[in-house]
Amino acid sequence: MSGAKEKQATAKPAYLANLKLPATGSNVEMEGVNYKIAAPQGVDPSTLFFVQVDKDKCQACGECETHCPTGAIQEMHPDGERGVVDPAACVNCGQCLANCPFGAISEQVSYVGEIFEKLKDPDTIVVSMPAPAVRYGLGECFGMPTGTYVGGKMHAALRRLGFGLVWDNEWTADVTIMEEGTELLERVKKGDKPLPQFTSCCPGWVKFAETFYPDLNAHLSTCRSPIGMLGPLAKTYGSEQSGIKSKKMYTVSIMPCVAKKFEGLRPEMNASGSRDIDATINTRELAWMIKQAGIDFASLPEEQPDPALGMSTGAATIFGTSGGVMEAALRLAYEVLSGNTLANPDIKVVRAHEGIKTADIPVPNFGTVKVAVVSGLQNAAKLCDEVRAGKSPYHFIEVMTCPGGCVNGGGQPLEPEMLQSSLFHSTVAKINRRFNQRRVG
Amino acid sequence: MKKIGLMSRRGFIKVAGIACGYSVLGFNVTREAFAATLEFVGLRQQSVYNADSKIYSIRKSQDNPMIKKLYAKDGFLHEGPCGHKSHHLLHTHYNDRSAGVKALKAKGVKLAL
Ligand code: SF4
Ligand code: SF4
Repeated sequence: MSGAKEKQATAKPAYLANLKLPATGSNVEMEGVNYKIAAPQGVDPSTLFFVQVDKDKCQACGECETHCPTGAIQEMHPDGERGVVDPAACVNCGQCLANCPFGAISEQVSYVGEIFEKLKDPDTIVVSMPAPAVRYGLGECFGMPTGTYVGGKMHAALRRLGFGLVWDNEWTADVTIMEEGTELLERVKKGDKPLPQFTSCCPGWVKFAETFYPDLNAHLSTCRSPIGMLGPLAKTYGSEQSGIKSKKMYTVSIMPCVAKKFEGLRPEMNASGSRDIDATINTRELAWMIKQAGIDFASLPEEQPDPALGMSTGAATIFGTSGGVMEAALRLAYEVLSGNTLANPDIKVVRAHEGIKTADIPVPNFGTVKVAVVSGLQNAAKLCDEVRAGKSPYHFIEVMTCPGGCVNGGGQPLEPEMLQSSLFHSTVAKINRRFNQRRVG
Repeated sequence: MKKIGLMSRRGFIKVAGIACGYSVLGFNVTREAFAATLEFVGLRQQSVYNADSKIYSIRKSQDNPMIKKLYAKDGFLHEGPCGHKSHHLLHTHYNDRSAGVKALKAKGVKLAL
């Protein structure tokens, strides 16, 4: 990997020379969603809107409201059009966006312009940090069937785009298991911090807990999310391993999520001595970048990430689905608590589709570990109320904001039905509007 | 649908108009879309578990050689998980963010919680 520096300095991918960069403040449609080109730096993210409604496209159907866990999106205009009332109430999950049948909701923060600038800059080594779930959605943007695994092609595409270090956030999912699993074992054994322990990987959930249940903050695992760990490890450990100075690195978090943009901007995320995460994009934006570069995604070979901060396991990849963090943690906890090897790593009882799932896991030489897995914050609130009332029987609770987990995140490719319906609906709506106007006029 | 009572008149007319558009084209979009969503999420999840058991040769975090290297005696995090350096780099603290929503509620904005 020591050759990465020279390779980066001498050979920039040819597409960069002819690329037209999107202007700051302009709007660009990527994979059916409108994005504002804006790369905030050093801003308090709690003052920013990450999604907002385009009043002219909104048809006041109210679908977004039924998917919003907080009530942040609601009637804001006299004719019933919706809007996000205030950043304080919005957890940036993007579920409103993913479910609007009219494509009326846009993202307000996109770093793609700045990332292309950094890729062009000969003095910057751009570092890729893709989340597990991205590789189960990205292929859909290139016509592949829903859920196709494209991990190897994704790494190849990142290299062709000009990322100088292809590291992978799955590696820190494994680190997270070590840290969060150890924390749980300490809580159980020492009793110094309260149980149940809540997972802290999902930024929508974390903001939700801080906003609506701040009295339960001590129940949240103190672990940063995997991306919160890869940023600082890239600029410290990664710098040691690659021989590239952290000042030259520009770290790009690539997520299935909108709320990760908020997380990347948290002021406390600077443990490496500078910003741990320099930019955050989601799956749709990565697909757009690959298309801008003219890369033929389907014909790419399968490539591995750079190993030191890239090699990962099955336990890491299941972070992308609801129940995955729990199962991965149990694969560790079982072995540590029992002293035995877990022969079959499948712990199917915690695999969750939607809603709340609970399980008692018998661990030899220890006893029973009681766990709950929940996706959807409306469901999480029920468990929070139980904890608040002192009635929660669990040791460990996994929470994900998006139904089914990150694979269904607000930054993933929209499902084809939704895209089609958004086209179909807006056409019908346009016709209706014209029809109504004529009648009135 | 329960929201209709809260809708303005023009909003209602729009939705009614759309419903009319559907009936003209003769298909039940909402129900089909809902069923499709469940199937859609399931497909992505299924693919994850498939990769876990078929594509990844190592399946436990503690068995990843690059994790072992990180926490080894001469490794970067040689104190082990939840050590001093881990706490500095990999752990965090949380804020109380309730003031913002309290202020909104005081202004009369209704939220779900
Ligand atoms: S059109 Fe979209 S933004 Fe407007 S109310 Fe319906 S779902 Fe919400
Ligand atoms: S992003 Fe999430 S919390 Fe914010 S308005 Fe949309 S659904 Fe509600």
